[in-house]
Amino acid sequence: MANQAKKSLFKRTFNGRNAAISIPYLWLLLLFLFPFVIVLKISLAQPIIAIPPYTPLFSWGDSLWPKIQAGLDSYLFLFSDSLYIKAYLSSIKIATISTVLTLIIGYAIAYSIARAPTRWRGILLMLVILPFWTSFLIRVYAWIGILKTEGLLNLALMTLGIIEKPLIIMNTDLAVYIGIVYSYLPFMILPLYANLEKMDMNLLEAAADLGCRPFKTFWTVTIPLSLPGILAGCFLVFIPVIGEFVIPDLLGGTKTLMIGKVLWGEFFYNRDWPVASAVAIIMLLLLVVPIILYQKSQEKAIS
Amino acid sequence: MTETNTTEPWLDSSQKPYIQIENVTKKFGDFTAIDNLSLDIYKNEFFSLLGPSGCGKTTLLRMLAGFERFTEGRVLVDGEDISEIPPHLRPINMMFQSYALFPHLTVEKNIAFGLKQDKLPDNIINQRVEEMLQLVELTDFAKRKPGQLSGGQSQRVALARSLAKQPKLLLLDEPLGALDKRLREQTQFELMDIQEKLEVTFVIVTHDQEEAMTVSSRIGVMDSGKLIQVATPTQIYEAPINREVADFIGDVNIFKGIYKGQDAKGTQLLSEDSKSIIYATQKVDVPVGNRIWFALRPEKLEITRKLPEVDCNILKGKIEDIGYGGSFSTYHVKLENGRQLTAIRANRERTAEHHLTWGDEVYLHWSPDSAVVLLS
Amino acid sequence: MTRFSKFNVSAIILGFTFLYLPIILLILFSFNESRLVTVWAGFSTKWYVELMQNQGIKDAAWVTFKVAFISSSVATFLGTIAGLVMTRFGKFRGRTLFSGMIYAPMVMPEVILGLSTLLTFITLAIDRGVLTVTLAHITFSMCYVSVIIQSRMTSYDDSITEAALDLGCTPFRTFLLITLPIILPAVISGWLLSFTMSLDDLVIASFTSGPGSTTLPMKIYSMVRLGVTPEINAVSTILVGLVTVGVITASLIGKKQKQQLAQN
Repeated sequence: MANQAKKSLFKRTFNGRNAAISIPYLWLLLLFLFPFVIVLKISLAQPIIAIPPYTPLFSWGDSLWPKIQAGLDSYLFLFSDSLYIKAYLSSIKIATISTVLTLIIGYAIAYSIARAPTRWRGILLMLVILPFWTSFLIRVYAWIGILKTEGLLNLALMTLGIIEKPLIIMNTDLAVYIGIVYSYLPFMILPLYANLEKMDMNLLEAAADLGCRPFKTFWTVTIPLSLPGILAGCFLVFIPVIGEFVIPDLLGGTKTLMIGKVLWGEFFYNRDWPVASAVAIIMLLLLVVPIILYQKSQEKAIS
Repeated sequence: MTETNTTEPWLDSSQKPYIQIENVTKKFGDFTAIDNLSLDIYKNEFFSLLGPSGCGKTTLLRMLAGFERFTEGRVLVDGEDISEIPPHLRPINMMFQSYALFPHLTVEKNIAFGLKQDKLPDNIINQRVEEMLQLVELTDFAKRKPGQLSGGQSQRVALARSLAKQPKLLLLDEPLGALDKRLREQTQFELMDIQEKLEVTFVIVTHDQEEAMTVSSRIGVMDSGKLIQVATPTQIYEAPINREVADFIGDVNIFKGIYKGQDAKGTQLLSEDSKSIIYATQKVDVPVGNRIWFALRPEKLEITRKLPEVDCNILKGKIEDIGYGGSFSTYHVKLENGRQLTAIRANRERTAEHHLTWGDEVYLHWSPDSAVVLLS
Repeated sequence: MTRFSKFNVSAIILGFTFLYLPIILLILFSFNESRLVTVWAGFSTKWYVELMQNQGIKDAAWVTFKVAFISSSVATFLGTIAGLVMTRFGKFRGRTLFSGMIYAPMVMPEVILGLSTLLTFITLAIDRGVLTVTLAHITFSMCYVSVIIQSRMTSYDDSITEAALDLGCTPFRTFLLITLPIILPAVISGWLLSFTMSLDDLVIASFTSGPGSTTLPMKIYSMVRLGVTPEINAVSTILVGLVTVGVITASLIGKKQKQQLAQN
């Protein structure tokens, strides 16, 4: 081994490099990771009328040892009432369908921007991102005015004579799909575009030169090459939509079951924090695998 | 009283090497990039590390700069062990292949950067920057930003910046790689002038053998993490240590054969190609019957239509190919046994009187002291 | 082979219509004389006047801007460090966990983030208010900043850092004098993104705020639940206007900077 100058243990531990790593690390540990432990703990508690409205894990009475109160009551409750299971399944269904819809529409737009003349691309991209910078809530709200029974869409369609009776879109699953696709479109377009823009057009020309028809080229060359962008976009839509609250709350109906709405309801209306926590834990378990897959795909992309 | 040898300090035992690389090894996991390498470089040398890609020359350079740590071994500069010193504290500066100019600073501020880190007073910094700008002839460009410079200008700023601190050692990583041929040739001589004027020791990494030969005081030929030969350009060219070095630098004709002993004309080689004895003056000390090689540079081969009036080293063949190079022509001559040799001849006559052409039957011959005997 | 076909043109036109129509209609009807969304009764700015007198909204706006400014500044600081650590520090103990904590918040459903952060504040006995909302916003914003910085660093020439070190600059000063100025546009985009996301956040703020720290999105949401009113349109239009001006200014500055670097 090369001669080691003996740096003091102090210097080796508290150097600048370690400080740089520790500062964000500790923050995230405390305010991101540690909270999940808390949620787990509270999911094992009982709801009570108190502040805070749940039983503590450890309580000290007269004895030296603390009394531990923990139980799986909340989880049993979730599995006993079919509402919750239906909500999880419904969320997965809605998230899957929305992701596919967003992918199709987003791909068409991203692809078209990538093939536009170079000087337009920057502006087009900025125009795609601009709505994203304006408030999410406001844009969802805008759709209410359009999709209502007395709203602008029905007004336009009836005035044009396309339909006679107003369409009931508001407060249905359809409205939720429209809302989700609308709100999450930029999340799909950006990674797709980043990938498509870097694509070597020579590969497409080579395929054409070898006799491949445009449609086939698209399926056998373009799509596989844009797979990283497709995956990134899908993760960025699917995972958060599972737990989406605002859109199903404002645009969906009472029949629209989404687990994000359920969690909100348990917490704010039922004031049942342990059950809300249990809902969160199960949602996390569902999403752990996709989240890890997403993280791995992003690490690969950066390196 | 022996005079201190200042032009070839490596031959003078009274002189201490300025840079001592001692048994340095560098491993990346299982891969050994530098294998127990030792090298002495003397003050004011213009030393080149030459070799194919992947031979480890850039790794060695980066280790001198401090960007890679040694797995084993150490390096001394002017007697001081710098192995554990981080790059920003070493008395060594580097000129990067990509130039690495700071894009947000002007040319002036780029050059002054290193001096500012040393907290020198402003007037000294300004003076030094002025000197450097004059040295690389960029005084008018002081206030420009790197984005507004051409490739050649950027290269000179990078050079000025790396010399501003008057380092004990300057490392250059393929400094001329990005320049076109004419600019490269011009810059090679400029580099040599600057090095002499400032009396700085240069170590340069390059894969361009012509460049190495032009600028160097000595060349270290590397392959697979080892130094194969360290010698002056002349020695490397005219006295390569093995077939690998001979082949790496320039063109060479290598004759394979069996050593048949010495006689009045010199060392005898029973050539596999001509099945006859060819001669070299250089003596060898191996048992008769061993396999040895002769290396012969193309410009040492005489090519004539008439049978030459010499008593050895004559081969007969036919001209297969001619490459016209303006000042000289390259001839590919095919011998009777099918082997092809390369000969180079200066075009000393302007007119076509002695012109050799395709298909001509010719004789090749060389004098015995033109060939080098190789044992490996 | 950039055949910009009819399909491409129509895709873009349709796409942009889909994206912008709701916003345009929103803005339009904020100037509607009548309350109804479907009947245009004439141009009027009365809803804006009513808005100005709505103290609840004004207070919420002030809280929101405070939170957004502080949280984006701290998040940019933390996120820039995190981004550099991820791209420049190579392997270190606990890197996998660190990486997971950087990417996960970006896809994590907001209800989970909100609930978990709130429960932590309660456990640590921190009173809910402006502070807790700010802390929560910093946590998820810093991850976005980190990703932006990481992306910038992939096209960053490492030899520039080495050159600075070689010339005698300590690693810390190299960061301040060389790295930071060069990646400054990315740092600024990170700040802007954090600011916008904080401004816009409803779910996490709902969980983590307390009495007296109602944010603008929370206020708008409670108004929306009561029904569509043009006052909401007015607030929305102002917000959209502010953000648009901000984005256009930012991109113009960015363009000017690029031009400056090229010429001078």
